[in-house]
Formats: sequence, structure tokens, C-alpha cells
Amino acid sequence: MGSFARTEGGLRVRLSGDEVEVLRRLASELRALYDAEDDPVQTRLFPRAYLDPTQEESEREWQSLVHPELRRDRLAALDTVVSTLERAAERPSGREVVLTDEEPEAWLSLLNDARLALGTRLGVTDDTDLDAQRAAAGDDSEAAVYEVYGWLTWLQGDLVEVLMA
Amino acid sequence: MSERAATPVEAPVEVPVEAPVEVEEPVDEGKLVADRIWIVIVWNDPVNLMSYVVYVFQKLFGYSKEKATELMRQVHFEGKAVVASGAREKAESDVARLHAHGLWATMQQD
Repeated sequence: MGSFARTEGGLRVRLSGDEVEVLRRLASELRALYDAEDDPVQTRLFPRAYLDPTQEESEREWQSLVHPELRRDRLAALDTVVSTLERAAERPSGREVVLTDEEPEAWLSLLNDARLALGTRLGVTDDTDLDAQRAAAGDDSEAAVYEVYGWLTWLQGDLVEVLMA
Repeated sequence: MSERAATPVEAPVEVPVEAPVEVEEPVDEGKLVADRIWIVIVWNDPVNLMSYVVYVFQKLFGYSKEKATELMRQVHFEGKAVVASGAREKAESDVARLHAHGLWATMQQD
């Protein structure tokens, strides 16, 4: 299972070959989602700033100013993560790469957005019992989504823990 | 709502010696609303990790771990928390930074 550790040269990530492929696929799915129209995931990733519905004009101005930048930064984070995966070295136990500078933040961005996207798709609430849902999943592909979500949760928790240590 | 007198009053020739009397300015409610402070609210969501939310509050606002944890707990248990406040431009920028980190934030006047 993937893991992060602080080393002298930066933040070392270890992943299995399958995990690298899952992250690549998530990066390409997020890329498409960032531009999706009228998608609940889009609404969650790029929410309103002004709560008051009578402040539509302020909201529009804010969105036109901020949205292109938020979208661009997220795409840049995906590019960064994909480039770190490309330089991951083959090891007997899987793949390994050392993250430096802003690369750990790019990983956080991808992991968090992927969880927000899957969580929104799965309709996760505070009361959702993920293990029970996965067990009750109608088919293997649905169960796999729960599995990926659980894995991302674990991986992001590990990354945050290492960053905060 | 009232504005300043429409007809200009001629300035007095004599300069008052005593301290000027404080004159109550007419209250312009529109201006009061405009001046009211903006607050940034983070709402609870079922996906974001508690540890991640603490990390983001510390990173974006420079809060101590204790303060960031307290705010995170407030978001989680009470459904929302005011995490920052100030002028409108600052609130707009704070909301943008929170959205960039995937937190569900909005702004409103206090």
C-alpha cells in the first residue's frame, strides 16, 4: 500500500505499479471534470463565494476573476503529479519517487479533489458506512469505486500526517 | 436616509476658541452596510479529512494547531465556523484560497 515518508532529499512516495496507474487515471478524469458543465462535482470543486442569492452580480464578478485561476492551478497540480509519477523509479517493492518544493502540495490537491469527486458521486454523507456500502455494492465496478475512495482517504491522511509532523 | 445639506452654508468668519462641539453626523444606512465587516464561513462537508482541514487552516491563516483544531471541530460539530473576517477584498481572496484547497467556504456581511 502506498505511503509517504520524510527523507533527507524531500518527501518519499512508495506506490505499487497498480496504484500508479490508478493515480494516472484519476488525474485524467479530474482534467475532464474541471471543465464539465452542470456537474454536481464541478459545483463542489468550484462553489459559490457569495451565499446571498441577491448578490448575483458580486458572485459573477468574483467567479470571472477567480475561476480561471483556480482551474489553472488545479490543472498545473495534475501536471505536476503526473510528472512525478513518470520519474518514479522501479524498485523490487514497486515504484518510488522523492517529492520536493511544491510537489507535495500538488499531490494533496489531486488526492483531495479525487476524494471530493468520488465522494460526491457516491453520495457520501457523515453517516455513510463505507464498508457496508462497499459490501452492498451492486457490481464489481461500483465496489471498486468504494475501494479507490477508501485508499485515497488512507493515502491523503498519511500525506497530511507527514506534512504536519 | 439623509445626506449633507444641499445648500452650502457660509463659513463663519470668527474662528471658535473653545473645543469644537461634536456634531452628530446624519446616519447614512447605505454607508453603514457598505462598511460592515465581511466574514468567511467554512461549512461542514462529509468528505474532507479532519486532519486536512486543520492543515489548511494553519497553512492559509497561520493559526496555531490548537486554534486550527478548534475551528475544525466547530465546523464538524456545529456545521460551520467563521474562520476569517475583514474587508471585502480580503474575504474574497480568503474564499478563493479555501476553494483552491477544496474547502466549502462562503462570505457574507456580519
